[in-house]
Amino acid sequence: MNKTEQPNLRTSAAAGAGSAADTGIESGNRALFKYLGGMALAFLPFVLLVDDAHWLNIIAFTYLMGGLAASWNIIGGFGGQFSLGHGVFFGIGAYLAARLYVAYDLSPWITIIPCALFAALVAVLISWPTFRLRGPFFAIATLAFNEVAFVIANHFESVTGGPRGIMIPFKAGFANMIFRERWQYAVLMFVFLALVIAITIVLRRSRLGYYLLAVREDEDAARASGINVLSVKLQGMALSAGLTAMGGTLFAMYLRFIDPPTIFNLQEVGVKFALLSLIGGVGTVAGPLLGAALIIPFENFLRAELANALPGMNLAVLGLLMVLAALFMKRGVVGAWRDLLIWFKSRKGAGK
Amino acid sequence: MSTANNPDLLAVTGVSKHFLGLRAVDDVSLQVRKGEIVSIIGPNGAGKTTFFNLLTGQLAPTSGEVRLRGQLINKLAPHNRAQLGMGRTFQIAKPLIALNALENVMIGAFMRHRGLSTARDKAMAVLEKVGLAHQARVRAGDLTLSERRRLEVARALALEPEIVLLDEVMAGLNQSEVGQAIELLQGLHAEGFTFLIIEHNLKVVRAFSDRVVVLDRGRLIAEGTADQILNSPEVVKAYLGDGHQAVELGTL
Repeated sequence: MNKTEQPNLRTSAAAGAGSAADTGIESGNRALFKYLGGMALAFLPFVLLVDDAHWLNIIAFTYLMGGLAASWNIIGGFGGQFSLGHGVFFGIGAYLAARLYVAYDLSPWITIIPCALFAALVAVLISWPTFRLRGPFFAIATLAFNEVAFVIANHFESVTGGPRGIMIPFKAGFANMIFRERWQYAVLMFVFLALVIAITIVLRRSRLGYYLLAVREDEDAARASGINVLSVKLQGMALSAGLTAMGGTLFAMYLRFIDPPTIFNLQEVGVKFALLSLIGGVGTVAGPLLGAALIIPFENFLRAELANALPGMNLAVLGLLMVLAALFMKRGVVGAWRDLLIWFKSRKGAGK
Repeated sequence: MSTANNPDLLAVTGVSKHFLGLRAVDDVSLQVRKGEIVSIIGPNGAGKTTFFNLLTGQLAPTSGEVRLRGQLINKLAPHNRAQLGMGRTFQIAKPLIALNALENVMIGAFMRHRGLSTARDKAMAVLEKVGLAHQARVRAGDLTLSERRRLEVARALALEPEIVLLDEVMAGLNQSEVGQAIELLQGLHAEGFTFLIIEHNLKVVRAFSDRVVVLDRGRLIAEGTADQILNSPEVVKAYLGDGHQAVELGTL
């Protein structure tokens, strides 16, 4: 930039700073306020239903899946890289922490971060070649990774227990991350969810967050704006995979039994993360949480009410609802909500 | 040519691009000095956009050299060239439609400014410079074509570039919008920005170009001031075919 225009830029920057509040990018305080409000709302069902063991289970699982969907949303939503292979990272977090705990008596509190870092490393290694693929081709490649992970987990019995899986003995205690009461798990999962959402909000307001959006919108335009597209995708994937692995560790300690069909189940894991985000609103901060809050309890309800009546009926109803959502709420609950607000505002404006 | 006292900001030497048998760009040399506005004109299919893509790194040249401030950049990726000071717009505007105008420009500003608030202030300043500040909160997808073009120029300017490459930023604009765009370019030129421009409209080219070069079938066939070019028989021939008077082109 040449010297003569420097002062010019500065004066107009000062003028611009005054109006920055109403430029569509909310201030840090407002984002924090919304975050705390949202988290309080998310915690409300826990407070109301804390005496109900059945509901506590559902609430704990909803928090966990909300956190996992939000982790997926970092690369899948903001970065636009539609991964269906996040089961791989989920599995790394679950298997590695479980094995380290069972074989070496290492507390999951200590291993959860190293496991996440290892998953992030694996994510970078397998994404490097895969990111050359775009759109559906990328999604299909990640799907294949999930299947490969399934085979590996089945085969290497010494580490994964093979088809028999890994059983984690019940030794209650905070140090072991194993709890006697359901509510304690619910709190644990809530902390995970709150952490992932907080990271998402910080990311959304950071350079990396904006770069992920730019890469999603148009890779050529991103490159012309000085963005190293591959590097941005890899950073987003590493962060997303690391958080997914943390969720995997929590899942293993919660269920205390893991085997390949549970961990690498596409319907319940790899595709579910994407699905929850899509239903809630992909690429938004609140979307994945809303998706989980709607779908997970509803799934449980359908399973309880319909599975006995006609086998598979619960899945048919769920599938139908998802088709309807895909047809009529393309931008998820968050998108529908925004459209409703705009409609309401325009109606109010017309009435004046 | 020594790097230290090289007066050319952008120096292109004997650049060619062959697609199988087709010579899309054939042995083109071109220099742009700091503060200049140089325009590239030529009929459809002359290789103008291909030439641009060779400069910005979207395509790699078959042979020849591209230097920015004396540094050889032939093999650099587009984002590296942007970091070295090369901004560009696209023939088909590529705004990031899900983001608002301010955020679009911030994407550019982030290259030199990591922090959110600094990038936002810089982006706002650039939006004011191109006359889009009042649309800062509007989604890029909801802007008019003319505004989208301006937005792309703003995103390129936010990179704080040494040179900006504009690919037909006035195509599809109406008369008054073209007038505003010319005014904008003249203003930026006065501030010292350097531009290399692809433009179809010869009248527009005359309004602000220091120099004009003509591409035809991949080759550079003429170079000079706008008036010289518009009266050159070779250029008339390239545009209109044989048997026309130079005068006709001048009035286009």
